[in-house]
Amino acid sequence: MPTLLELQRAMRASLVDRNDGPAAAMLAQNVPADRLNIYRNTFVTGVTKALRLSYPAIHRLVADDFFAGAADLFIAQHPPCAAYLDEYGADFPQFLRGFQPAAALEYLGDVARLEWAVNRAIHALDMEPLDLARLEALLPEDQARVCFVPHPSIALLRADYPVDVIWRGVLGGDDAALAAVDLKTGPVRLLVERGATGVEVSRLDAAAWRFAAALCEGKPLAEVLAEAGHTSVESQLAEHLAAGRFIDFRLAPCGAAAFTASSEAVL
Amino acid sequence: MAARSFSPPPCGEGSGVGVVPQGTVVEQLTDPPPRPSPSRDRVCAGFGHSIERSKSATADFDRGKGERIPAKAGIGLRFQHHQVVLDVGPDVAWMEVHTENYMGGGTPLRYLDAIRRDYPISLHGVGLSLGSAEGLDAAHLERIRRVAGRVEPALMSEHIAWSIANGTYLADLLPLPMTEEALDAVCRHVDQVQNHMKRRILVENPSTYLRFRHSTIPEWEFMAAVAARTGCGILCDVNNIYVSAHNHGWDASTYLAALPPAAIGEIHLAGHSVRSLPGGGTLRIDDHGSHVIAEVWALYGQALARFGPVPTLIEWDTDVPPLDVLLGEADHAGALLASAEREARNADAA
Repeated sequence: MPTLLELQRAMRASLVDRNDGPAAAMLAQNVPADRLNIYRNTFVTGVTKALRLSYPAIHRLVADDFFAGAADLFIAQHPPCAAYLDEYGADFPQFLRGFQPAAALEYLGDVARLEWAVNRAIHALDMEPLDLARLEALLPEDQARVCFVPHPSIALLRADYPVDVIWRGVLGGDDAALAAVDLKTGPVRLLVERGATGVEVSRLDAAAWRFAAALCEGKPLAEVLAEAGHTSVESQLAEHLAAGRFIDFRLAPCGAAAFTASSEAVL
Repeated sequence: MAARSFSPPPCGEGSGVGVVPQGTVVEQLTDPPPRPSPSRDRVCAGFGHSIERSKSATADFDRGKGERIPAKAGIGLRFQHHQVVLDVGPDVAWMEVHTENYMGGGTPLRYLDAIRRDYPISLHGVGLSLGSAEGLDAAHLERIRRVAGRVEPALMSEHIAWSIANGTYLADLLPLPMTEEALDAVCRHVDQVQNHMKRRILVENPSTYLRFRHSTIPEWEFMAAVAARTGCGILCDVNNIYVSAHNHGWDASTYLAALPPAAIGEIHLAGHSVRSLPGGGTLRIDDHGSHVIAEVWALYGQALARFGPVPTLIEWDTDVPPLDVLLGEADHAGALLASAEREARNADAA
């Protein structure tokens, strides 16, 4: 008699690896083995649907059959590990990049990276923005050591193709915008976040993107300001704070604080 | 381009616009059809709907403190009905949602917060895998606790099934072997959940398409034993009983008669589909994609006669129809509940 664990591993082998033998041997006598197909079909269609919801632009770009075929392979290689499917599919962009049948669509992996960032932003937990009074209460030398914790909806993305235009065009059915896309316009730098009315994707220039990325990585403020070294950082930092892009901060160890004066000027 | 219709995104303002499409997901199904749970509703990134209820605050529930689901008809709430529920405030006693659809932040939870002010909510989990030999996923249990902390549901329920093996989530409510070992595992996990949540939960009887050769316990006895050993309640899915009884040649009345009336905390009703088998005969598939059939309404009548009036939910998860269709089904259940109520009163008077 198989143990519960043996039975469940046999069913997993049937559903994921399509090896029906062990599970079929455990079925009651008058139960045909093709009943396992019902469960496998639910598994594959359910998880494919989860991917389709997270990657709607990829789905539209490659259409139903191609998407289902790619999803089939992806699910076999990276089956979900938890019942929270909104967090499933992080590896799909990487998978698409190495997916030979899609090689002609060189931008597909980058569009998928944007969609994953959007998906994360949609589902990120609700967090209160940082109370600015906590920053103001710090001594200037401590302000220099501030390392921000970004809101979980925020992603900073650099892509080789104008994926924001492609993504909007595809989901909006804007064929004119898609026809006007020039894949050779160079990299784009994007900020993805969930605002009051939904997920927003904005383009930043290279300097502003690097500044935001350094802040979101949790580098000490003084170090980020010194690296940035351009004049508009004050207003950019003020905008990040006002937009509630940080939810908390910690203080870097004292040795890291070398640029007290510049941070004082900003805060 | 796929020939599917999405609502167009709003016009952009400045550099940032939310453009995740909204709309019912219509499954293109091939043989064999899928089953309804676990579902994943589409989340829309937001089109600037202000999430405010338009219904006046008539029901002022003491959230989570002694609030109960009334012994009336409720409906399963799906994302495509969030806005219309807020707009019209339908005349329905309560609503149930899939816990897994509210585990993130943002729009879904804000809708549920608003709807929650007017309707008692039941949280129905589809992914905890109470029957897993490898134990419960502690992170998932904690996600459920977090949702419950925010929603303060009047009821919480899960399934007599399993979904996780070897660390893989198999995205279905898979059948358990009806063995003492499985019964022990389920009871251990129900205890764990009830301790973690500090409340009683209900467990739902499954619909199944296969049985295992080493099963020794009739499913109805398994259900009753889980309730007796753990003190949990039973969510009696009448459609599931009908489907499984058909598929396995059981007697649905025997099943109902074996369930302890005092443990029944909720009833589920749904539609199912029928599939022809190659060798003749049919298999009933619990896809929650159509009206409740007459035979299931009749079995529901039997259930009410045995259990008395119990909170009853209309579930509809695939090809979700307009809200009015769900409300029509709920009205039908409500009428049967009302007559069960009268009979219960008459019996008491006599």
